[in-house]
Amino acid sequence: MKRNKQYVFLFLLLLVFGMVLAACNKESDKGGTSTEKPQAEETNKNEDGSENTSGPKEGGTITGAMYSAPAGMFNPIFYQDTYEANVLDFTHESLVSQDGNLEFIPSLAKEWKVNDEQTEITFTLEEGVKWHDGEEFTAHDVVYTYKAISDPDYVEAGGVRTNYVTPLLGYDEYVAGETDEFIGVVADNDYQVTFKFKEPNVTPLYTASFTIIPEHIFKDIPVAQIPEAEESLQPGKVIGTGPFKFTDMVEREQYVLEKHGDYWQGAPHLDKIVWKVVAQSVMTGLLEKGEIDFVASPGGIAPADYDMVSDYGNITIVEQPDFGYQVMGFKQNHRTTEDVASGAINPDNWVPNEKLSNPKVRQAIAYSVNRQGLIGEGHGQGLLHGRGQQINSPIATQFWVYDENAAVNYTYDPDKAMQILDEEGYVDVDGDGFREDPKGNKWILNFDYPTGNELRERSAPLIKSDLEKVGIQVNLRQPKEMSAYVPDLTNDNTDFDLYLIGWTLSSADPDPSGLWNTKAGYNFSRWNNPKSEELLQKGLKAPEAFEKDFRAEVYKEWQQLFSEDLPALILYAQNAIWAYNDRIQGIKPLGHTMYQDPHEWWVEDAK
Amino acid sequence: MYQYIIRRILVFIPMLLALSIIVFGLAKAAPGDPFTGKILDPNVDPIVYEQQRAALGLDKSIPEQYLHWVSSVAKGNFGKSITYNGRSVESLIKERVKNTVYLGLFSLGITLIVAIPIGIYSARHPYSLLDYGATTFGFFGLAVPNFFFGLVAIYLLSINLGWFPAQGTVSSNSLSGFAEFTDRIHHMVLPGLTLGLAGTATYMRYMRSEVMDVLGSDYIRTAKAKGMSDRNVLYKHTLRNAMIPIITLMGFEFGALLGGAIITEQVFNFPGLGTLFIGSVVNRDYPVIMAIALLLGVAILVGNLLADIFYSIVDPRIRYD
Repeated sequence: MKRNKQYVFLFLLLLVFGMVLAACNKESDKGGTSTEKPQAEETNKNEDGSENTSGPKEGGTITGAMYSAPAGMFNPIFYQDTYEANVLDFTHESLVSQDGNLEFIPSLAKEWKVNDEQTEITFTLEEGVKWHDGEEFTAHDVVYTYKAISDPDYVEAGGVRTNYVTPLLGYDEYVAGETDEFIGVVADNDYQVTFKFKEPNVTPLYTASFTIIPEHIFKDIPVAQIPEAEESLQPGKVIGTGPFKFTDMVEREQYVLEKHGDYWQGAPHLDKIVWKVVAQSVMTGLLEKGEIDFVASPGGIAPADYDMVSDYGNITIVEQPDFGYQVMGFKQNHRTTEDVASGAINPDNWVPNEKLSNPKVRQAIAYSVNRQGLIGEGHGQGLLHGRGQQINSPIATQFWVYDENAAVNYTYDPDKAMQILDEEGYVDVDGDGFREDPKGNKWILNFDYPTGNELRERSAPLIKSDLEKVGIQVNLRQPKEMSAYVPDLTNDNTDFDLYLIGWTLSSADPDPSGLWNTKAGYNFSRWNNPKSEELLQKGLKAPEAFEKDFRAEVYKEWQQLFSEDLPALILYAQNAIWAYNDRIQGIKPLGHTMYQDPHEWWVEDAK
Repeated sequence: MYQYIIRRILVFIPMLLALSIIVFGLAKAAPGDPFTGKILDPNVDPIVYEQQRAALGLDKSIPEQYLHWVSSVAKGNFGKSITYNGRSVESLIKERVKNTVYLGLFSLGITLIVAIPIGIYSARHPYSLLDYGATTFGFFGLAVPNFFFGLVAIYLLSINLGWFPAQGTVSSNSLSGFAEFTDRIHHMVLPGLTLGLAGTATYMRYMRSEVMDVLGSDYIRTAKAKGMSDRNVLYKHTLRNAMIPIITLMGFEFGALLGGAIITEQVFNFPGLGTLFIGSVVNRDYPVIMAIALLLGVAILVGNLLADIFYSIVDPRIRYD
């Protein structure tokens, strides 16, 4: 009897082991040679050049995966969730889009002219563009879109895209309800529309790049009620000009896009694109099996899964730098309790944080963090398995203004860090193994970080141990969830010294002032450097900044200043890793999106 | 009996009120608000969020906000979600609650169908091979984490063998009638098994020990002595008495069932109340937190009431006057 029991147990044990081994096999027998670092380049597995077929075939369905369901707001002016963009990128369009170099290129507008003062930009629109319901797209739709975002009720109804309308002429009066007349965007005729700005606008195309919604659908709905209107929520009711229509959904599970036969750039080859919401843990299996055809940002392929997915053989992987980075910030100043209570951001009242106010000390800390160690050199190393980059200035590398050489590169050098700290008088006087400040007081840096990004969470203790190796005492505190962490960062009449945070940048314009301007709310370091302020203003100041080269020079200088004064150390920029099944043809991945011209996608096996 | 039920239901009202005050207080005591957890977007001016806070009345005092909430709930209005702009709380819950209930009943069904017969068999043949096997199996189910079992089930039965769909509740919206029903059941097998397996051990062990307990009692010996068949002894005397703790368990289960199974829902992307609840807590979506807390409160109270009523059906000695 006893032995029987053991058999059952043994059998179950074997079963579990078998499962674990089967799951591990894939990872352990990889070649271990793929150490190349593609810069926006594809690693295509079947090197056939895909010129062997006669041409695009019509029909077919492809399936994409996203890891979290959209919140359900399919109105471009109100959505906030990146997952809704997965649908809206196919259904809606803007006057302009961006090419691989992030230059604006024609989309719904075929050409444009800026006046000499850069206070007006006039677009000539494509004619014959049809909305999904067959109505024609005109300049009045453009006017309506911007008017809706400028509406006095827009923000209260949950809208956040006001930075597209604040530069417009007459916006302040209109949003305050002082006038009914909207003069910022004017339709000169059905196919010509003019944007007028309060003052010369250095980035007029960015302002005009917002997604257009149909006037004939929304004109009778008050802006305050647009979010709850079925035209914003329900498949079949959501109307855009894009190559695909949003026709059906099983809420939180799948979202079905069908081709828009009257699409102005030509009918799409594919019949359908189906988005499925799948758990990240099972996505790779479904990708291998062909149940999922493509996956891209946000999320993409986890760095640890890269080698496994590239071994599948039927998958093309696109790896390139992401528009974002992780930083370890230095709280250079704290606000006063009164300012925190009133919400004022007044640099004159800021209290310097003595522990980190010496830039040399910040530099020493930068030298002592092994950033390459966080990224790793390849599979199984570091947090990113080598799938990331060390960047030194807070501007996305894809932008024309990013200059690798402008910024100081803090390569891991603990000896140099120790030397700097010694020179600055931070030495261990009481023999506890940690340095004291020049006055001989205890020097302990508080280190806070949020949960929500697993790799970032795991980086905190590694950084702590790096700092302790050079004798800096770190008080690593318990991580907090984002909802609780951000108020702590914002209301900074506290003892925060070091903090971790990640930023996702816009691909539209490189201007970093939203994050690093002295008075910017997101300047959590409370970095107050008059020179930086001056340069950031110069980078947007008319008329010099109309010239790209001028801006590039200014931002180059600013990047250098940033890296020397170090309000934050940029830890790494994780690579975006996208993947698609080789049966899909015609995908042209760009730096900021994989969904450029989806009407040209087609599949080999279309019937 | 009816008087008893009505009395019990009337007691619900102050209990739910107390529950709502506690939950509201706790939700508000948590640091942050619906806007602090948003992805920090450098292209959105933080002032925008300030204005939205004011529009929602989040700048008012907590008692004021609570009174506002209670008075609108009393009118049957649970308000609008903050995270899901444009969506009413009712529509969000309605969308999820059926998934949760179907999955809960399905897995409870699996649990009972597996656990009760095995429990009875084990009690009647203790220390037999099957008893040991069932015990091992039960504890295996209890010990293996849900997510791990779920992933292994997906890997083997879905990805490798292709027997069951890996994710979701239905293949497409275009199905209807019987085809839709079988498709939904087909989708429910793996999450139902994952969830059901975990509960099996508990029920099985309860059943086994209760039946053994009852089998050893005097009245069973009497029944046997007067020549009653084994079948009759089992069904008429043993089971009725052994069911009482099981009913207590199921009364609790009724509330837990609505609470959903967060991990299983996530692994199988089976959108239910559990993930909605967790999401609303993380995002500080106060109206949704409150509505679900109330719903769970009602479910647990009703579950216990049902259990009390079932006692008197199973055991006529129990009476409520």
